[in-house]
Amino acid sequence: MTTTAFLTDSTLCIGCKACEVACKEWNELGDDGHTWTGLSYDNTGAVGHSTWRHVKFVEAAPLLGFGGNAPDLASWTFSSDVCKHCEVAGCLEACPTGAIVRTEFGGVFVQPDVCNGCAYCVVSCPFGVVQKNSDDGRAFKCTFCYDRQKEGLQPACAKACPTESIKFGDIDELKLAAQVRVEELQSRGMQDAQLYDPTETSVKGLHAMFITRGDPKQYNLPPNPEVPTVYLESAWKSSALAAGVLVLGGLFAFLGSARR
Amino acid sequence: MPGLGTSFGRGGATTAQSDLANADAILIMGSSMAENHPVGFQWVMEAREKNGATIIHVDPRFTRTSAMADIWLPLRAGTDILFLGGLINYVLTNDKMFREYVLPYTNLSTVICEGFRDTEDLDGVFSGWDDIKKRYDHATWQYQNVETLGYDEGHYGGGGHGKEGTGTSHPNGCERDETLQHPRCVYQILKKHFARYTPEMVEQGSGIPKEQFLKVAEAFTSASGPDKTAAICYSVGWTQHSKGVQIIRSAAILQLLLGNIGRPGGGILALRGHASIQGSTDIPTLYDILPGYLHMPFFKSGHNNFNDYILRHKSRKGLWFNYDTYFINLMKAWYGENARADNDWCFDLIPKLTGDHSHFGYWLDMREGKMDGLFVLGQNPAVGASNGRLERTALSKLKWLVVRDMVETETASFWYNSPEIERGELKTEDIATEVFLFPAAGTAEKAGTFTNTQRLLQFRELAIHPPGHARSDSWFMYHLGRRLKKKVEGKVGKRYEPLQKLQWNYKTEGPLKEPSISQVLKEISGWDLTSGKQVSGYKELKGDGTTASGCWIYSGVFPAENLNKALIRSPKNYLGHGWGFSWPNDVRIIYNRCSARPDGRPWSERKKLVWWDEEKQEWTGIDTPDFDKKKRPDYQPPEDATGTNGLAGDKPFILNADGVGWVFAPTGLMDGPLPTHYEPLESPLHNPLYRSHDTNPPEDKKIRPDNEYAPIGDGRFPYVLSTYRLTEHHTAGGMSRTLPHLAELQPELFCELSPELAADLELVHGEWACIYTPRSVIEARVMVTPRMRPLWVQGRTVHQVGLPYHWGYNGLVKGDVTNDLLPISEEPNVRIMETKALVCDIVPGRRATGPEALKQWKAHKEEAA
Amino acid sequence: MSDPIMNLSNEYTPKGWKPRKEARLEEIKEQAKEFGTVEAKGVVPAGAPFPKASPETGYYGIPLLKQPQWKPEIPIYFFVGGASGAASVIGALAHWTGKDRQVARDARLVAAAGAIISSGLLISDLGRPSRFLNMLRMFKPQSPMSMGAWILAGFGTFSGAAATAQILSDRLGFGPFRILGNVAEGFSALFGLPFSNYTGVLIGATVIPVWNHNVRTLPFHFGMSGINAGVSILELMGNDSSPGLNRLGIISSAAETYEGIELEMKRDPVVNEPLKHGASGWITRMGGVLSGPVPLALRLAAEFTGKRRSRQLRQIAACSSIAGSLLTRIGWVRAGGVSAKDWRLPLEETKRPRVQKSQSREDYPHMRKIS
Repeated sequence: MTTTAFLTDSTLCIGCKACEVACKEWNELGDDGHTWTGLSYDNTGAVGHSTWRHVKFVEAAPLLGFGGNAPDLASWTFSSDVCKHCEVAGCLEACPTGAIVRTEFGGVFVQPDVCNGCAYCVVSCPFGVVQKNSDDGRAFKCTFCYDRQKEGLQPACAKACPTESIKFGDIDELKLAAQVRVEELQSRGMQDAQLYDPTETSVKGLHAMFITRGDPKQYNLPPNPEVPTVYLESAWKSSALAAGVLVLGGLFAFLGSARR
Repeated sequence: MPGLGTSFGRGGATTAQSDLANADAILIMGSSMAENHPVGFQWVMEAREKNGATIIHVDPRFTRTSAMADIWLPLRAGTDILFLGGLINYVLTNDKMFREYVLPYTNLSTVICEGFRDTEDLDGVFSGWDDIKKRYDHATWQYQNVETLGYDEGHYGGGGHGKEGTGTSHPNGCERDETLQHPRCVYQILKKHFARYTPEMVEQGSGIPKEQFLKVAEAFTSASGPDKTAAICYSVGWTQHSKGVQIIRSAAILQLLLGNIGRPGGGILALRGHASIQGSTDIPTLYDILPGYLHMPFFKSGHNNFNDYILRHKSRKGLWFNYDTYFINLMKAWYGENARADNDWCFDLIPKLTGDHSHFGYWLDMREGKMDGLFVLGQNPAVGASNGRLERTALSKLKWLVVRDMVETETASFWYNSPEIERGELKTEDIATEVFLFPAAGTAEKAGTFTNTQRLLQFRELAIHPPGHARSDSWFMYHLGRRLKKKVEGKVGKRYEPLQKLQWNYKTEGPLKEPSISQVLKEISGWDLTSGKQVSGYKELKGDGTTASGCWIYSGVFPAENLNKALIRSPKNYLGHGWGFSWPNDVRIIYNRCSARPDGRPWSERKKLVWWDEEKQEWTGIDTPDFDKKKRPDYQPPEDATGTNGLAGDKPFILNADGVGWVFAPTGLMDGPLPTHYEPLESPLHNPLYRSHDTNPPEDKKIRPDNEYAPIGDGRFPYVLSTYRLTEHHTAGGMSRTLPHLAELQPELFCELSPELAADLELVHGEWACIYTPRSVIEARVMVTPRMRPLWVQGRTVHQVGLPYHWGYNGLVKGDVTNDLLPISEEPNVRIMETKALVCDIVPGRRATGPEALKQWKAHKEEAA
Repeated sequence: MSDPIMNLSNEYTPKGWKPRKEARLEEIKEQAKEFGTVEAKGVVPAGAPFPKASPETGYYGIPLLKQPQWKPEIPIYFFVGGASGAASVIGALAHWTGKDRQVARDARLVAAAGAIISSGLLISDLGRPSRFLNMLRMFKPQSPMSMGAWILAGFGTFSGAAATAQILSDRLGFGPFRILGNVAEGFSALFGLPFSNYTGVLIGATVIPVWNHNVRTLPFHFGMSGINAGVSILELMGNDSSPGLNRLGIISSAAETYEGIELEMKRDPVVNEPLKHGASGWITRMGGVLSGPVPLALRLAAEFTGKRRSRQLRQIAACSSIAGSLLTRIGWVRAGGVSAKDWRLPLEETKRPRVQKSQSREDYPHMRKIS
């Protein structure tokens, strides 16, 4: 079983949303409501319990290289967002029932028959991916098409993507491919092309990496995502201190007082 | 389609989408390919990534395609010919022609007859213009020394789709001047015609800055020659204009001059606007053509008979020499044994055209109460057609209406739910139309073929039976036909004969008694009636009644009893041989004789496709040769040779009578042998080129009280309006606004406009605005975006407003019907409406509901400019 | 621009195009070029605002993080758990020091009742309540919620046993019950120690900025809040003259006062805004006041007044502490929701949000107000 990964190359994304729809069709997900946001062509907003692939439309500052060359024109780039399937995953560490597991393909998977909807994963994901479905009661996110991968198929989104912006394959091969691609783009004049794979944070790297142009912040990709387990040490120390105060304070309070 | 048909011989894309990956430059115009043909667009991306191709997108809006292009040029909607003419001028002025290709393979050197006058001579019209009848007489457009049959009434009634370059011109002994000096040779005429399409004129007329234009011109025209090719992709952004066919002609001329047709990475990819529209013109649901682009006969006393019909359309040379064969095979397929030589193959049983029976033609008749009934199958004209108000009101005049669809479309519900009902213009209790709504089967629930934009037939098998009473269209038609035939059994009278003699014995299969689609496809492909065996292609069809084929261009799709080529899925090369069947004859890039030099060698190693194998004495290569396989490159035809034998070995365009690509189109088009810039029917500006003619002269505006136009420069409607599609929705929205996970992608109708216009009119992003035209008013959400830009044109700022057209009053997400704003107009050749360039006014605020909306619209119309 | 080959005969002017407006704009542009500043007001520059995605505005100001999806049961559980956990320890200490048998007895009941109510609240908050036992499928030290589930399981078992043993030994006078009860009481206190404050760890070790920014103090804060509430409940049960309780109450409310002052005094990082502004800010501050200075003053006063007066003061202090403890939990949970909506925080470059000047929201008027 090789560890598989996604490499979403946003420079090839045409914003067609085939990935979004293919995912919904394969997983039989419902809609997230029919509200017009007016935020470019993105009426979904973010990934959530019923949207596991989400195409972002970034109307931003001009980018040189390709894509509309009028100097005073905002550029338009597209990027398909997905669960990052972190190497060290906040949701997985936090899940008390053990519903969230790492599959043999290296993806992070929520077992829907175990999840009891405590929603602790929701506040443990530094990328804001996993979400509880209040009608259903359980938490949902991208499964990395675990069912399809078990049959030797690619995930639905990768299959549907017409321009192969979503690449799927062995993680080491994709990491290499990403490097090659970023170098190629930079040699073509796109100095702002970069790979988003925060290996230096506590997340230790993603199984769903992104090549973007321009600052990843405009795609809502955080520069310093942290797995909340990094806070545990301080937290339990503080807890111990509180316990200590309770014991010592209590001893002091009772010992120093009259019998009653 | 006639744009390509007159230029090259066949009205279809000249290449396959996968071939775009070989291009060195791609011009996408009149299309947002990434949005509307996203799967095909992957090859544009490949061209960009692997070939380093320059991708150019010219469009009034900066779309998702522009985001992927290297260069985007903003264009004033409706000025495509100015731009393309500017490119042609650039080619001619800077001597960028691919001479070795153009001279042998096009009619650039052909001399035109003496009486010809250009628009430059006559201030906007060609010679032969009849201002009273509003049409052209083509006599003065013909080649020197070539006899022609004049045009006749029927042709004006019938328009002219698809196949052209035909029998009305018999270019025996046409005169050529290879030095291109003769004042009336096509080259000189072309130069004169486009002389004023300078970069300055392009900037003045369409708003494209001059330096940008020159940059694009250089990039595109230098991708030409033996080693390089460039492709053009277009779609509905070019066709839905009052001069759509001529726009395509300009592209054809450009590609011929640059030597890109019939070569890998070149050609013109007509991106059709629907998954199987190509199929619906090949086996047509159009009123004026028969399967395989044969002409529908027209009614004219004295010319009603079979011989006259054949005489008119059969040409002495080229493939159309076999016109009668193809027609006879069609008749044999339809009428079986009843079609014989002694009854003119049942020619009398085919209905004859008496006028304009196009969509708008009969719909206006319907509006006047002249029609009893209508079948609407998988179409939603209440939302999709122009002037929705007129369209829906017309429906109320029918006695009965049958709608077959997967959901209750706006067309089916017009009688109780529509803007007219809401505004009180129609009352449900007063509508006498009896409406029948039949559930239709979905794609996976029926067998059949799609013919996609690159002429590729793909057979789909039935995966699951349709639920409940839903049935496929073939089921419906077959059983309807069967019942109608039963009704007329034994009746006497000429009017029953067409039904009685119709051969309708298809086998049925399965529990639902579906007609066997395989059998239908076999019939289309053709068989030998004496042996019962399938034919292998159109070359085996005979004109003596021993073979039958429902559509000669599809012949060969089912060449043997169990070999359905449309069904096979084992592709062998990048062109896709082994996957489906590409008509004609599984040629993927048509006119591919052009990919070899006149002597048969490829132009270059990099751009080789088809070439002459001297050893085997035949044409060979990566693609199936679109040429007589055994014809030597140096073949010269004897004087009296006919058919394709009458064409020399270096004449690639085998449907044209002279075998060459038509830079100048002497016949086939209603509005001129060369494209000319005219303004759209509604425009804020006059034609910068000609004083006397602002718009395309033969255009039919169908002016009526309920189909008004704004005069040019009307102050009430100062902004240019263009309508378009989004990836997320499907045409009139029946299949996308009814599915929750598709509806959520674009839930509301919105208009796109520039920040400058928004500031000017105090339109706020996210709020509502009303868009007014002389036809109607609608409301939409405002999307302010820098992707729309004001243009500086002829000393004025021109603002453009964009509106997608997918919304209607049914479904999960609803919105106003954009096409209510459009007028009904008919382009002279194909009678298509102009949707891409009109004028409008836009005002912040919501539209009134009910009868107030009408008052609001009228008040706006009546205010002084 | 005269061009003889063109046909210029257009007579319309775009709507809204006012020559004077254009001229004025030109004037202002000249001024700006020459002097670098423009004093005059006047023309709205061409170009209406539209949403932009950029490093400064994020992805159109859409928050990255998901909001906590807990129901109101959860902050109430924090309160109940904190109080009952603390109560079990207080009771054990009172028992072992031999100084306050009544407190010890009442504390067992408070602990057991708290455990039962806590379980009910937690189960009711679950999306699939019938699967609550799945919490015990794993023992995951790195998950505070897993630890919490086991702590609650242990606490519930032993506090329940201790209370039951007490009731039975009261009724039946059976010796071994008393011993078992004492053993259970010991273990109940052992579990009660973390149970009273682990909820601070629970919310501190998450991605929600206002919570993890305060992770070093949050468990301590919740622990003190729990002591406050535990003491107060025991007092209201009739132990309002227990000297030990008052002393402990002074210690905990002093700690709460210190916590409150420290929070207010911290220079105003963007992260802690929800604790000071808006509804969540008011609730938290109110909770802080009612947990800290008010009961502190009242209890101190109670130390130095007569018995009857002292009891009255202590009762008021107890009510104030209980209200304060509950409001504190509610405030912090709400603040978490507000914090999750702040799109700016996850996009900050620094690993830990440093103390910095608040970015002006007026720069992005088309974004929804965060509150």
